Amino acid sequence: MSNAITMVEAVNLALQSEMRRDESVVVLGEDVGVNGGVFRATVGLREEFGIKRVLDTPLAETMIAGLSVGMAAQGLKPVAEIQFMGFIFPTMEHLIGHAARLRHRTRGRLSCPMVVRVPFGGGIHAPEHHSESTEALFAHIPGLRVVIPSSPARAYGLLLAAMRNPDPVIFMEPKRIYRLNAQPVEDTGEALPLDTCYTLREGSDITLVSWGAMIKETLEAADQLAEQGVNCEVIDVVTLNPIDHDTILASVAKTGRCVIVHEAPRSGAVGAEIAATIAEKGLLSLQAPVARVTGYDTVMPYYRMEHHYMPNTADIMEAVQTTLEFA
Amino acid sequence: METVYQAQIHYRSYLSEEGHALTELPAWAQSPDTLVRYYRNMVLARQLDNKIIALQRTGQMGTYASLLGSEAIDAVIGDLMLDDDVLVPYYRNHALQMLRGLALSDILSYWGGDERGNSSVKMAQDFPNAVPIATQALHATGVATAFKIRGEKRVAVTICGDGATSKGDFLEALNVAGAWQLPVVFVVNNNQWAISVPRSIQCGAQTLAQKAIGAGIRGEQVDGNDVIAMHEAFEEALKHAREGKGATLIEAMSYRLSDHTTADDATRYRANEELKAAWEKEPVKRLQTFLHQQGWWNEVQEQAWQNEVNQIIQAGVDEYLAMPQQPVEDLIDYLYAELPKALQEQRQRLIRNAQPGGNRHE
Amino acid sequence: MKYFKLPDLGEGLPEAEILEWHISEGDTVTTDQVLVSVETAKAIIEIPSPQDGTIAHLFGAAGDTIHTGEPLIEFAGEEDDSGTVVGELKSDAQSTSEDHFFIGAAPSTAAHQAQMTPAVRALANRLEVDTGGLKGSGRNGQITPDDVERAARADRTHGKAEPLRGVRKQMAKNMALAHAEAVPVTLCEDVDIHDWTEGEDITMRLIHAVAAGCKAEPAMNAWFDGQQLARRLHSKINLGVAVDTDKGLFVPVIRDIGNRDLDDIRDGLDRLREDVINRTIPPSELQGGTITLSNFGTIAGRYASPIVVPPTVAILGAGVIREQPMAVAGEVVARRVLPLSLTFDHRAATGGEAARFIRAVIDDLAKKSIS
Repeated sequence: MSNAITMVEAVNLALQSEMRRDESVVVLGEDVGVNGGVFRATVGLREEFGIKRVLDTPLAETMIAGLSVGMAAQGLKPVAEIQFMGFIFPTMEHLIGHAARLRHRTRGRLSCPMVVRVPFGGGIHAPEHHSESTEALFAHIPGLRVVIPSSPARAYGLLLAAMRNPDPVIFMEPKRIYRLNAQPVEDTGEALPLDTCYTLREGSDITLVSWGAMIKETLEAADQLAEQGVNCEVIDVVTLNPIDHDTILASVAKTGRCVIVHEAPRSGAVGAEIAATIAEKGLLSLQAPVARVTGYDTVMPYYRMEHHYMPNTADIMEAVQTTLEFA
Repeated sequence: METVYQAQIHYRSYLSEEGHALTELPAWAQSPDTLVRYYRNMVLARQLDNKIIALQRTGQMGTYASLLGSEAIDAVIGDLMLDDDVLVPYYRNHALQMLRGLALSDILSYWGGDERGNSSVKMAQDFPNAVPIATQALHATGVATAFKIRGEKRVAVTICGDGATSKGDFLEALNVAGAWQLPVVFVVNNNQWAISVPRSIQCGAQTLAQKAIGAGIRGEQVDGNDVIAMHEAFEEALKHAREGKGATLIEAMSYRLSDHTTADDATRYRANEELKAAWEKEPVKRLQTFLHQQGWWNEVQEQAWQNEVNQIIQAGVDEYLAMPQQPVEDLIDYLYAELPKALQEQRQRLIRNAQPGGNRHE
Repeated sequence: MKYFKLPDLGEGLPEAEILEWHISEGDTVTTDQVLVSVETAKAIIEIPSPQDGTIAHLFGAAGDTIHTGEPLIEFAGEEDDSGTVVGELKSDAQSTSEDHFFIGAAPSTAAHQAQMTPAVRALANRLEVDTGGLKGSGRNGQITPDDVERAARADRTHGKAEPLRGVRKQMAKNMALAHAEAVPVTLCEDVDIHDWTEGEDITMRLIHAVAAGCKAEPAMNAWFDGQQLARRLHSKINLGVAVDTDKGLFVPVIRDIGNRDLDDIRDGLDRLREDVINRTIPPSELQGGTITLSNFGTIAGRYASPIVVPPTVAILGAGVIREQPMAVAGEVVARRVLPLSLTFDHRAATGGEAARFIRAVIDDLAKKSIS
């Protein structure tokens, strides 16, 4: 029985595990080497794998992304860290304009097997620009995979899968739960599948769909609702592009009701894509309109007012009640 | 082969590490007024920094980026900029913002996670802190372009760290400033560390000032722990810009005597000896020594000023701690000039949740 | 403040380890004086005092781990307050949990609801039509507006259907199941009870006769498992007695009728009936019957084809006793007659076994008296 580890330790374990197995994996980013990453996700890697496989880069995200495209096209597997979601925007040109389409535009001659790891989300009292949830920006881009774990075990298995995936993966780490909860994780080297949802709780009355740190509040709401006799099915979407709609539709066909929970602002978010697909393909099963519990369509507040923005367990329970009471 | 271009980067300094004059001082530095003012402001800045860290360590402040080691740079820039000029700062310029008129309680509010810290009318047209690295350099060129288009004798001043000079934004800003001869001064607070990455592996060039050469603007290196050198360099740059002669890049050599932020631990990546050596060169002590030597400052004045500084800071802290919570609708009301109809429902929900009976009522 | 609690020292750090206290209990400290050095997952940090005061208590010693939000120091002579943590950050650092999940959909997602468009659902709501029982005539069994309107018309014409509840609902299910499963054969016969002694209790005679039948032919007192194709012959006779109530059909079970005296059985039966009428009968008293008696003759009816409910294999029905002309020794005379109807599951028993059973029942009922 291995020790229980936190999510950030699971990320570290997956990196170490895969770097031992696959010499082409190279970790790069700001402060990832000597410092072991601002969240310590890469701690110990420089010592074990040396300066040729763990690169402390100059402070320039555009460069990190563009450099990774070049390395990946050469057959390396760059695993780049962007320190915070708020600093990922300079990478967009390379991720959208190049990484996502290199395979396509060369009709398979070149490809881009790279991973961009980026902590995201609020709730840790960080200064401005450190707490946003902008996963939709990437989920919208054909050719990119967007993967978000919500537990140490899934972080380990999914990051291995991301590193073994032949295409670019944006691996978003919900930092609010980085150290919140420890779970036993075995270093088995076994990847978990991408492109599929994970059902965390089986239930028959209503389907709760979420991802990332909001899984915590969603499960809490499901627990409290269970005490009231409401049986929630909880689905962790995990891969936000491409989305496994089949799992969600099958669940909604069973329950007839759905609440989507995410921290990102409401409009144009991934929740909207899921709701639209339910409207297209699951309409006949619906007993009530699909509800969304989300952040507001506003700038992420500085931390003092952050809790007004972040969806909480009470919000989820209210949405579930409204959905259940819909005639 | 003929040489088509040649350039040099000069290093400016007046005070030795021990606080002695290395060369003949400029006229203004031969009388106490300005230097004593600089000194007092630097002491205030340092004490403020200590206090904010203490507040953070006791849970009364958010993650905070210390200004320790940049007191001289901020003191000079804050003093020489005109009210009409525009400051486009990064996140380590709160001493400079204080000198530009911002109340301590506003500075504390910002770091305490409250947007109202950016809202003071005292900031006039100054930008709020740029947290995304080097982005402010481009904004400063935009401000300078506006000045130039309107024919105003105003200058945009922007500061960044050494790490920021690696970003495209910074180099693009230098380039456009050169191409259009913009009234802007770029100051790099080269404190030798970008979180854990030392200057030596940040950039292969011997100086960061030489990046000016590629952009066709003035560039020089200056001892950023030496207020006199800093004053001379910055005043020249301001004058140059104000006279329509274009931009300057000043690389101010300093040292980050603190951690990157209160969430960082520099002992993980930085040798203690290096930090100790840096403390030998630090700007406040250096100027104090010089003022003592000149007979412009003494222990009695020091004690009196320390007491006054503590009172000033405590008053600011008290004001900060007594500030009522901002109304929750502020989270949405400032998003657009006019609240779009589509946001009304969300605004109502925000308010409802914060009210008695709501799930976020406090 | 009374308690100075460990603030979040980094960005979402849940805990810190105490390295060294710089003060002791009883010390007087001033604001910003360093109290303690702690190590978090990210850094070694010196924590200053948030206020002037005297230290009453230190929580933890060097090497101890303190979680964010837990008390670090108690100040002497202070009132407690809500602590110092700005916008408290929750942490469950101590909790270790297992992680259970299904990759993809949960197994139960095969279950599907009735399918209809929201407009049809709204129509059904407006017309107060329960769509649960509707069979859709649309594509893929989808419920159409016509289906809903037809159901609404039926409701208007014939009144709304009353959904079955409780025992009545259970009866409907059991009977349908029984009908679907068993292979019933019904055998009818009359018993001449003209010579019964005055005052014979019909119910007790029937119970006695069933016991006699079962003794003569154990194949009727059995359970049959249609899945395994196995039968179990019972030595004890537990007789289910059908009791009609306004709530529906109850079948309480009288235990071991083959070995108990009649008074005892009578008492037992009366008690069961009372419990049924008062609705106080425990479910256990309704279970475990090995053969069933239905005395519908107390109301009306001559013969019937009673339904045998698996796993039992036989049910005996008794009709109304009446006088009828009978040929006795070549002469037609009026005699009192009890009509019997036996249904048995032909999967579990032969016609011969059933006939021998009813023969023994008749012989027992034909006796003048059993007391």
